[in-house]
Amino acid sequence: MEITIIAETQGDNLHPVTSQLVGAATSLGASPTVLCAGGAGADAAAGIAGVGKVLSVVGDCFSTFDGGAWAAAFDAAAGTGIIIGAASAQGRDVVARIAARRSIPVVQDVVAISQGLTMTHPIYSGKAMQEVTVGGDCAVTLRSNTFPPAGDGGSAESATVQQSGDVKIAVQEAIAKASARLDVSDADIIISGGRGMGSPDNFEHLYALSDKLGAAVGASRAAVDTWDEIPHSMQVGQTGKTVNPSLYIAVGISGAIQHLAGMRTSKYIVAINKDPEAPIFKVADYGIVSTWEEALPILGDEIAKIL
Amino acid sequence: MVYEALDFYDLDSQLTDEEIMVRDMVRGWVDAEVLPKIEKACSEGVFPDEWRVALGEMGVLGAPLEGYGCPGLSYVAYGVICRELERGDSGLRSFASVQGSLAMYPIWDFGSEEQKQKYLPGMASGDLIGCFGLTEPDYGSNPGDMITKAEDKGDHFLLNGAKMWITNGTISDLAVVWAKLDGVIRGFIVETGDEGYSAPEMTGKYSLKASVTSELVFQDCKIPKDRILPGVKGLKGPFSCLNNARFGISWGALGAAQACFSSAKEYSLSRIQFDHPIASYQLVQNKLAWMLREITKGQLLAFELGRKKDNGSWIPEHISLAKMNNVDIALEIAREARDIHGANGILDEYCIMRHMANLESVKTYEGTHDIHNLILGRHITGIQSFTRSL
Amino acid sequence: MVEIAVLLKQVPDTNAKIVVVNGRVDESAIASWVTSPYDEYAFEAALQHTEAAGGSITAITLGPARADKVLKDAAALGVTKLVRIWQDDWQDLDSNQVQSALANAVTAAGADLVYCGKQSADRNQGSTGPGIAEILGAACITEVSESDSAGSYLRPTASGSERVTVSSPAVVTFTKTQNELRRPNVRGIMMAKRAQIEVVGGDVSASQVNFNGHSSPAQKPPGKTYEGSDSVPEVVGLLRDEAKVL
Repeated sequence: MEITIIAETQGDNLHPVTSQLVGAATSLGASPTVLCAGGAGADAAAGIAGVGKVLSVVGDCFSTFDGGAWAAAFDAAAGTGIIIGAASAQGRDVVARIAARRSIPVVQDVVAISQGLTMTHPIYSGKAMQEVTVGGDCAVTLRSNTFPPAGDGGSAESATVQQSGDVKIAVQEAIAKASARLDVSDADIIISGGRGMGSPDNFEHLYALSDKLGAAVGASRAAVDTWDEIPHSMQVGQTGKTVNPSLYIAVGISGAIQHLAGMRTSKYIVAINKDPEAPIFKVADYGIVSTWEEALPILGDEIAKIL
Repeated sequence: MVYEALDFYDLDSQLTDEEIMVRDMVRGWVDAEVLPKIEKACSEGVFPDEWRVALGEMGVLGAPLEGYGCPGLSYVAYGVICRELERGDSGLRSFASVQGSLAMYPIWDFGSEEQKQKYLPGMASGDLIGCFGLTEPDYGSNPGDMITKAEDKGDHFLLNGAKMWITNGTISDLAVVWAKLDGVIRGFIVETGDEGYSAPEMTGKYSLKASVTSELVFQDCKIPKDRILPGVKGLKGPFSCLNNARFGISWGALGAAQACFSSAKEYSLSRIQFDHPIASYQLVQNKLAWMLREITKGQLLAFELGRKKDNGSWIPEHISLAKMNNVDIALEIAREARDIHGANGILDEYCIMRHMANLESVKTYEGTHDIHNLILGRHITGIQSFTRSL
Repeated sequence: MVEIAVLLKQVPDTNAKIVVVNGRVDESAIASWVTSPYDEYAFEAALQHTEAAGGSITAITLGPARADKVLKDAAALGVTKLVRIWQDDWQDLDSNQVQSALANAVTAAGADLVYCGKQSADRNQGSTGPGIAEILGAACITEVSESDSAGSYLRPTASGSERVTVSSPAVVTFTKTQNELRRPNVRGIMMAKRAQIEVVGGDVSASQVNFNGHSSPAQKPPGKTYEGSDSVPEVVGLLRDEAKVL
């Protein structure tokens, strides 16, 4: 089976998810060719175990991201068979366009793949899974941190091909990450503090952690009512906002029923509270009985390690 | 928390596409703009002016009236609007009821062409607020004996008297006032700023706190001759307004009841006592089943009454039955819901206590519960029991 | 003047419970169907764009008769050109079929720009925008969070965001924007009552994808409580490997 992987890059470097794409490809018995946009990360890609070949696709188009131009270049450089990319914003864009160029189907955000080619991907934001089989050629993106990465120690041959496409998108202005706080209604990860934080100043620790995670900071009604510095817009619960993030981290929140009403449908709940009897532990998937002063610094360090 | 409207017999599937769009429009607005602000409005005792603007922009004021900038919707659609507004708060629905059924309707039905053109477009758009002056300090259920009188002074009318319990009074631009002219009840339009007219706000309410309630005082109030409603004489005038308002209430009360039911259901499923959700206990299920039963019966009444209003086959007694029953069960449902919520039921975290307190007013205004029973009693027996010689 | 085709997909209310019965999501259990939320942001951007620059909008959906509702909702906000694509096997169309059916409708509408959500709230794929762009030979800007009538768009980058421009024809897929979604009013709803919906066939080739079935996601393990802050590294590991939320 011929598999071509579109390497996921981060600036000039290879994104670690690329090893996972290779791992999935080798589990299908392939020794994949890895295409690197503008040659970015080509050396690192050659070092991934199981890679058959690394192709640096070099062309003018790679200075700006334009999915159409990139897809044209990759399409010309890639063989037939299966195209695999990462289910990132850029990965989905490029892989969908390669599929459309070739009139082959595309299946995005795959979390399980087996010979045949049978694939499973979440639908309805993960409330159900869909399984499909594609007999012929197809294009696929894989969800990150789902497939075991291939190891190091590969020594694939590398080559360079000149391919480009018409760039139709012009960048006018690059804008650094805004420091504006995410609203709890929009966030996929929320860190909320309660009166157990002791003072509104201590919410700074939650903000620091939220910056690392791209999370929003919320609060219990008790915190909002007690401290003027914590605005009602942060309140999660019956009379605040109802939230439904993938991850909700409750810090120093006991878990009054009014608070639970606003966050109990979160996909995963982590609770940090020093009182082992706090009702928040009843709804938590992972409860940590500890003061926030002890737990938060370690949480910050551990998260920094894996992101 | 997401509002799941109880509709056990799927009656909303009988709505037209347009009626469903109107429902979703109002429901979405209540979710986004009313519920997050209602508790503050109640604690401050104000009707937020932005709600007046929004109701006008949505175009739901005077819903069933046609022409003069009015929406021309069905009575069923008007009922649905009331239901969705009162799911937010009875005070909000009261604002819309008074504006549409009690102030716009009499001008639309009994006003002169000039009056209609002068007032109705602005009232439909929410730019002009109206109120309705019938009840007096000493005459509530018995409006026929009202004291407020009008005198024809040749080039103007002179009004003297006082009205009480007037929703929207203080914030109104105009009042439709019922007064006796030569012993006959007639309707007059009084504008804010008319000489001798004032509308002080009544304070200290425990109910309908997000609604403005006022007195209307007429002290040698002088109004031009063209402010009399030419098209009606006698109690028929105010009573036809009240029929429309009561129709809206019969739907609106269901909105309050559905809000309480929805909260009670959600709460009982998440409240754990003795290791299990209280929703798993028979006594709680019995309460929830009773609520569902009464709401469903009330919905059947309201829908059928809506169809009768639309096809003209209704009689006032039909409206009395629906108003009386639906407010009655809504109030009982609020009380049962408070019980299910336990102590939490008294908090402003939940809508329960607010709806309960509101519904106490709704039970009394626009024809008290008992008066509607007497209306039905008269219908059944042919004998009126309102008054007698003692 | 700009002609914009807006792609609106009808999906179950995002708060709806999704139940799988006999290997298929039970649609009869879905009480409320809505316009896919990201599509609504795309639509609002299109409304603002045509208001500022002049021109008109064609609203296009693909689905059964109930999907007329999303077009009626668009009509209530002033859109007069409404197209619903109908295929008997619309539920099992593969990505190529969906894209070519929509691309045909876009071409028929004579649109310079296509606005749609970055992905639908049901299939969550995100293939439609880029795929249509490829078929139309157009550029595609994805995950746009801000747009203006001068044709500049804000899209995310690894280090923040960038403002880009593009020449038409182009496809723009939207994520949530700062725009407040407008509500219809009764006048609009009465206009929608009279709106005509053009129903067209998809006219697409055979599917290359076999649909095997739906299933419920794996159950979460029961909650666990750990003593002391020493357990934090273990919990973070579980968040990444078991919960897969980091």
